Amino acid sequence: MKHLEILFKEVYRSNYPKVFRLCLGYARGDEMLASDLCQEVFIKVWENLASFRKDAAIATWIYRITVNTCLIYFRNKKRNPTSNNTNTIQDNSDENLHQTKEKNIDSLYACIDKLSKDNKSIILLELEGIPQKEIAAIMGINHEAIRVRIHRIKNELTKCVKNDII
Amino acid sequence: MTSFEEIKSQWTHQKVVEIPDQGHKIIIEKVNAIKNKQKYTNIILLITILVLVVFFVYIAAYNYRTVALALLLMMGSLGVRIGLELQSIKKLKQLNVNISATNFKQTIIKYYKNRVRVHMIYTPIILLLYSLGFIIMLPYFKESLSNGFYNYIVISSVVILIVLSLFIYKQIIKELNALKELKDND
Repeated sequence: MKHLEILFKEVYRSNYPKVFRLCLGYARGDEMLASDLCQEVFIKVWENLASFRKDAAIATWIYRITVNTCLIYFRNKKRNPTSNNTNTIQDNSDENLHQTKEKNIDSLYACIDKLSKDNKSIILLELEGIPQKEIAAIMGINHEAIRVRIHRIKNELTKCVKNDII
Repeated sequence: MTSFEEIKSQWTHQKVVEIPDQGHKIIIEKVNAIKNKQKYTNIILLITILVLVVFFVYIAAYNYRTVALALLLMMGSLGVRIGLELQSIKKLKQLNVNISATNFKQTIIKYYKNRVRVHMIYTPIILLLYSLGFIIMLPYFKESLSNGFYNYIVISSVVILIVLSLFIYKQIIKELNALKELKDND
């Protein structure tokens, strides 16, 4: 048990930021929601850690759990659009730059949110830099189909972000 | 952001999230708390069943065939409904998340189809059997209770029945929507 707890601590610390970022994508940038979701994911990781077979990289295994947990967590949940932006007037140029960055990321979240659940999972994994072969394994779709699909979603997302910013 | 590469760069350069200091410990404690809660729920349910059985024996309901039948109908239908709900919660918690997203989606769809079947077939039958048991008991209530209390029981049971039916209807709609969303999602 102690050995498992040590392993879990290691897994938790090395994967938390990645899982959190992925959850943020599902939660449309809502940090509170992403934090809850992240907790759900790691509860599942802890519950299944003893049965983890090393036939896949642990990160891939955790991503698979994250995608599936998000699918069940957001079942039929209506979320209000959230934004981390505040509409305060700031004249400092650094703050303006920061605001622009925030606006960009918010519109990216909004565009990701417009995608179907499967496409959302695929593009979030792609944004995280997961190799397409691994994305195919996580999603249970063949490699070639994933490649074509990613290309399509990339175009869709880029178009949406462009329109949103302009 | 004009190209996907820029979007990706924006994504990877988001502010770095702080790892909760004792996060792993909180998770382990939470899992243990959930397990304990399940244990307590089972104990409470067991005590409830025992109380009902003791009540059944105490009033010697088995000597009155109609009363016994009515009580068994009410207790039985309630017991079956609770059992179905607990089984469903257990199934949801035990869903294997360590499979591909496509297979997982199929598992959830199957789960929801089962939920809808419970709501649309078993729950109305259970509700009907419970109401039947209650109706059979009404003359006995009238005989042994004051007029005011009897009226209170009749009126409140009708209100409860309406509220319960509305709740079940809302639950069916909610789960049908979840099923539709999962099926449409491609």
